[in-house]
Amino acid sequence: MTTSVLLEIQDLVTSYGKIEALKGVSLTVEEGSITCLLGPNGAGKTTLMMSTAGILEPRRGSIRFAGQDIAGKAPHTIVAAGVALVPENRLVFPRMSVIENMQAGAYQRNDTAEIASDIERMFTRFPRLRERSAQEAGTLSGGEQQMLAVARALMSRPKLLLMDEPSLGLAPLIVAEIFSIITELNKDGATIFLVEQNAHMALKVASHFYLMEQGRVTFSGDPGSLAEDEVIKRAYLGSARP
Amino acid sequence: MLADLLQNTLDGLAQGATYALLALGFTLIFGVLRRANLSYGAAIMFGAYCATWASLRFQSGLLVLALVTIAGAVLAGAYVERLCFAPHNARGLRPGNAAIASMVASFALWMQFEEIVTLWMPQHLYAFPALYEGAALDIGTLTLGGPLTLRVESLITLACATAICAALWLILYRTRFGLAVRAVIDEPGAAGLSGINVSWVLIRVFALASAIGGLAGYLVVATHGQVTPMLGMWSTLKGMLAMMIGGLGSLPGAIVGGLVLGLVEAHTQWFLGPQSRDLVSYLLLFVLLAVHPAGLWPRSKPVET
Amino acid sequence: MQCIRPVCGRAASPWKRKGRILDAYLIGVLTNVGLFSFLALSGYLLLIAGELSFGQQAFFGIGAYAAGAATAMYGAPLWLAIILAMALGAAAAFLIGLPTLRLRGLYFAMATLAAAEMIRILFELLHFQRVVDGELVGPDGTQGFRGIRWIFEAGFGPQDYLCLVWALLAVVLLALLKIERSRLGVTLRMVGEDPGLSSQLGIDVVRFRLGVAAAAGSLAALGGALFAHHNTYVEPRNFDIMLGVHGLAYALIGGLGTAFGPLLGVLLDIGLLESSRVLSGYRMIVFGGLVALLLVFRPRGLLNEALVHRLTGGKR
Repeated sequence: MTTSVLLEIQDLVTSYGKIEALKGVSLTVEEGSITCLLGPNGAGKTTLMMSTAGILEPRRGSIRFAGQDIAGKAPHTIVAAGVALVPENRLVFPRMSVIENMQAGAYQRNDTAEIASDIERMFTRFPRLRERSAQEAGTLSGGEQQMLAVARALMSRPKLLLMDEPSLGLAPLIVAEIFSIITELNKDGATIFLVEQNAHMALKVASHFYLMEQGRVTFSGDPGSLAEDEVIKRAYLGSARP
Repeated sequence: MLADLLQNTLDGLAQGATYALLALGFTLIFGVLRRANLSYGAAIMFGAYCATWASLRFQSGLLVLALVTIAGAVLAGAYVERLCFAPHNARGLRPGNAAIASMVASFALWMQFEEIVTLWMPQHLYAFPALYEGAALDIGTLTLGGPLTLRVESLITLACATAICAALWLILYRTRFGLAVRAVIDEPGAAGLSGINVSWVLIRVFALASAIGGLAGYLVVATHGQVTPMLGMWSTLKGMLAMMIGGLGSLPGAIVGGLVLGLVEAHTQWFLGPQSRDLVSYLLLFVLLAVHPAGLWPRSKPVET
Repeated sequence: MQCIRPVCGRAASPWKRKGRILDAYLIGVLTNVGLFSFLALSGYLLLIAGELSFGQQAFFGIGAYAAGAATAMYGAPLWLAIILAMALGAAAAFLIGLPTLRLRGLYFAMATLAAAEMIRILFELLHFQRVVDGELVGPDGTQGFRGIRWIFEAGFGPQDYLCLVWALLAVVLLALLKIERSRLGVTLRMVGEDPGLSSQLGIDVVRFRLGVAAAAGSLAALGGALFAHHNTYVEPRNFDIMLGVHGLAYALIGGLGTAFGPLLGVLLDIGLLESSRVLSGYRMIVFGGLVALLLVFRPRGLLNEALVHRLTGGKR
């Protein structure tokens, strides 16, 4: 059974001024997979997500999504291509209601009836949001905001869902909920590219993972190809180098 | 005494309505861009001069002049947006530096507009067709025992301002475009991620703000029956004053700030004269900024500049 | 003062080779460049400390009125008037900064604008005159303050005054350049670029900025004092927002990387454009367009931090 490559990043270089945060990153995400990106703080994982979503403009290299080159394009163009990012820190629209947040996520769509039924579907998948549908998003708890951010991203019906640290700052119970949602979404056909600090949870759901350190990919494999404690050690601390 | 108080309140509200419109324009631009546009008043002045030229050349009617003012302001605003704001939206520029560069660039264009206008129409003062030729309404003699005049121009100004605020509310809360605008104001980082074309929104918000300013400018010059190059400085100062008094970044604050400024000015001028009037307005802003910078009707989330 | 004159007299002789009218005009332009450089430097200092001020023109005005009053109304010598002006400028800046320097960005800018306009209006309301040599001398509200003729009465010629202005400017520039190379200079820029980090390193950011504001205020006042004596007449209208934002524009286009930046900015506007006959009448259109365009490509000005860093070989 051949699976196609949905996202292909090659030799990506992104800098902040003179500092190169990504020093030539190459990786692929296969369609239908949950691909995980692990690594210590400062490795460049968020920079990679932001470069893929169009918030940052890479200096060199390519990002191909479903055959199209999307490197350097504006964020809304990339959403139109079928990629949606759930950003680090959620970034919900705090003074807009839960429903309006989801409507914003569907901004590029014109099919009003379908949008409404999608919102219904989101409330079914995230029941806690239904209770708060008219509330301002800024008043929601961390876990609820995370669910809202995911719902908002899903509203554009993306082919690839990018998630940057979805478990950040959340209680373990909520984290477990988030990860079960991730699994569910994947079962329903979504391809997910996930950055996580919580290597343990991430490895439970991932079909493939990469390790990033200091702006480069240092390891690529399936869960199980490296002993879990070795992975966790390298994810949090980086590889021991003399 | 009561009649004076009421008279000043009425006049103050009418003047305040103009200030509110100016402040709304500033706030819209600040809301989506997080930067102040120092050319806002200058674009309005440009529009007013376009209308003045049209009135001299074609003896155009009120409505045409209003539309010309608005069109001129929008055109000038687009020029400012492209040259001073769009280039500094670039991802990667530190927001503080972008803000300063945009502000100083917009000031430079203000200088341009002033010179263009004085070269084009060299007289210091031009007459402008009045909004209403006729006596003011006396609504007080029967009810209060003393004259209480309501100028028809004030009535028109208040009506226009109310209509614009209502229209703005409808746009922001009942249209898809409005949703996008509020998203950009609320969390600019996430707006693009939701598929909103942020530059597209910025251009249109700028045009909307310029149009509102243009109408405010028209109401001012038509009420006073004259136009001078000082209109640029005046609109910029009053607009920014009202915006800050109401609360930076808050649209309801802009309205409140404008009305409060108008009322404070009208009452101060009555008791202390025109120079003290400005002194008190600035003192009000200074004290407010020193003790409660969020303003009289702040946003729920304070704005970082 | 007296000892400078003979030196300037000798140094000024190359100017005398040209025709007399061009001579005087050029001297006037160069003097103005010097005067307004103080204002531009004043805005520049606050900018690199991280605050945008729309109000430096108020201290320029305070310096002008104070120095003018000292010499024209009380017969003080110019050097004393200048010291008085600088002290008052610093004090005023300090007082205004106390309640406002906690503010940032546009909030601070508007607070300084409000303060500056209040001061300008106070000058409009100020009527304070004395009889000196049978004449009424002193600020007369919106009519302004005439008769600040100390330099003429002391026998200074235009080129002598030019030398004085530029000598003072040179001293200030040298001091600023020295500071920029020192630890104080590094702290100054750090406070501007990353106040959060500076705080964590133990710097009281607000107090530091108060000090910078006072220094900036005294610089602007120095410029104002010299301006008053050059013009012999000042009025409140001279010190409006336009002046202040012009000063900011000079600092920004010249470049925020070095104290020479503001000077360059003033030179570009007053020096080049003002003296260019071709552009007369279109000066603001040209200058305004140039500023906006330049900022598109160089948001921190011509002599920006990156360029200066490269030129000084990265030693800072």
